[in-house]
Amino acid sequence: MFSERISPRALLLMLPLVLVMIAVVGWPLIDTVRLSLTDARLAGTSGAFIGTDNFTKMLSGRNFQSAFWTTMQFTVWSVSIELVLGVLVALLLNQRFFGRTALRALLILPWALPTVVNATLWRLIYNPEYGALNAMLTQIGLLDAYRSWLGQPGSAMTALIVADVWKNFPLVALIALAALQAVPKDIRAAAISDGANAWKRFRFVIMPYLIGPLMVALVLRTIEAFKVFDLIWIMTRGGPANSTRSLSILVYQEGFAFQRVGSGASLALIITLIITVLAVAYLMIMRRFAGEAR
Amino acid sequence: MSTLELREIHKSYGSFATLKGINLDLESGEFLVLLGASGCGKSTLLSLISGLSDPTSGEMTLNGKTLNGVHPKDRDIAMVFQSYALYPNLSVARNIGFGLEMRGVDRSSREAAVLEAAKVLQVDHLLDRKPADLSGGQRQRVAIGRALVRKPQLFLFDEPLSNLDAKLRMEMRSELKRLHQMLGVTVVYVTHDQIEAMTLASRIAVMREGCIEQLGTPAEIYNRPASRFVAEFMGSPPINILDTHQLPDGLEIAQGASFLSGLSASQPVVLGVRPEALKPTPFEGALQWQGVVDLIELTGPEQIVSVMLNDTRVTATLPADLALTIGQEITLFVDPNRLLFFDAQDGQRIDLCARQTAVA
Repeated sequence: MFSERISPRALLLMLPLVLVMIAVVGWPLIDTVRLSLTDARLAGTSGAFIGTDNFTKMLSGRNFQSAFWTTMQFTVWSVSIELVLGVLVALLLNQRFFGRTALRALLILPWALPTVVNATLWRLIYNPEYGALNAMLTQIGLLDAYRSWLGQPGSAMTALIVADVWKNFPLVALIALAALQAVPKDIRAAAISDGANAWKRFRFVIMPYLIGPLMVALVLRTIEAFKVFDLIWIMTRGGPANSTRSLSILVYQEGFAFQRVGSGASLALIITLIITVLAVAYLMIMRRFAGEAR
Repeated sequence: MSTLELREIHKSYGSFATLKGINLDLESGEFLVLLGASGCGKSTLLSLISGLSDPTSGEMTLNGKTLNGVHPKDRDIAMVFQSYALYPNLSVARNIGFGLEMRGVDRSSREAAVLEAAKVLQVDHLLDRKPADLSGGQRQRVAIGRALVRKPQLFLFDEPLSNLDAKLRMEMRSELKRLHQMLGVTVVYVTHDQIEAMTLASRIAVMREGCIEQLGTPAEIYNRPASRFVAEFMGSPPINILDTHQLPDGLEIAQGASFLSGLSASQPVVLGVRPEALKPTPFEGALQWQGVVDLIELTGPEQIVSVMLNDTRVTATLPADLALTIGQEITLFVDPNRLLFFDAQDGQRIDLCARQTAVA
């Protein structure tokens, strides 16, 4: 990375930071690897070395597989809806109309909320006894009786995805809006004069400007969604019947609820690995994007 | 046959009027240059013709058919933008052929048309490249090719050479001229560069604050400007403007530096004279202006010399081989027919007959 040699003096000056990094990142990581190779429990034994048993047990176990698919389901649905909705809203907010600036400012609000607040908010909306969603749907006649949206395996995941989309599509919209504003006015005008209709203008003229930033948004949102914990923990705690138990929730349950720190650590490492792959993809896209911009 | 007709075109943004009644008739094959400083409404007028915006009022027709309310793509008008406006993700060939592609022209005739246009513009060896891999001049050729390939009734150019460096700008200017002579197309061309206007135009419309100040051939615009504004806008170095003072028996110029006997104006006037109308050698009927050399700027083929006539500075373009030194006395000889008079108040040109001449 550095073409110049680093002087001993520079190394000495960096030493405090390196020590802190080792203490807060390096050591926990190494200790997690160590733990994952033991049968340690939260209270009591420090655990005996059992090799890769935790990994094989975890990867072949039903809990991991169902949590993995739950996480995938959550990630794929929320991220795709966020992308499509974000782009559509950005296209809308890029038009000239009265109150555009106010709407653009309002757009950021959901994204600016802490996840905890968002989750609590939606839990209230979904509340089976006094939730706004039930009230609204019965009052307009779409529903004849109040339902427990978060209490039924059939609707809990959808309810979570809606809450996540509501909070996170503004980020995509914001990124897309910035990209749209980078499309030169003359190019749009040229395309109109060339006779391209709205769809073809989007496909040939606007999309090339959108694709790079959208890829970044895609990877960022995928990583975020894949790690989802707080939203689900507050709204359903992984229920009902584990139907919304994501990988992060499973790690928490293994390590702290079931106190199996060893296998919890192995699970955490597996998630880390998956996310590392996504992060590398992100870096590669960023690099390609930066290369194009030059 | 008249191609483009504009009748009483007005355009306002809110309460701000950008165009205040434009009337224009454009003949087929003409090269009309809209010339003016930024903000004079020339680009607005172009975008109205192209259909990218609509006039507040007024009528536009192309070959007798109204343009009002017609979608840009149905106008048979092609536009070349200052920023080239090439589609960055498409190859040169697809950029040129995009308009045909969008109009559903089949692939083989599209390719033939693209190749033909590319050959005319000498970019046929670049067809597979992306715009990012082209130089500024090549990009501009591709942008012109994109307009050319559609064989439109009318070409619109919006400051197409402004983004090029000086040398390339001159090359492209000649090339545009050559292209126009070769193809005989009808062009409306917007620029703020008076040299571009002079060299390219068959007619120039000098615009100012949303109005056409003068419409005429380059020679008319240069030699018989309708107003002081036009006179000062055209020409480099700019025209000299001198104060005059009406005396009972004639017009005194620059606090007595010169005197035009027998001339009388009914209103206060200023005098305009082009730097190249001031000659270093005498000729018959010439006025003689005596002054002192104040500044010499050699441009190569000529020298731009500032001469103080009493307290008034005039600029003269003199041959480079004329030996001059600063502080030297000099006599400048002026053809009285090349003097222009403008109303001191409204700037309109006034014809004053300068029959007799005298020297101060």
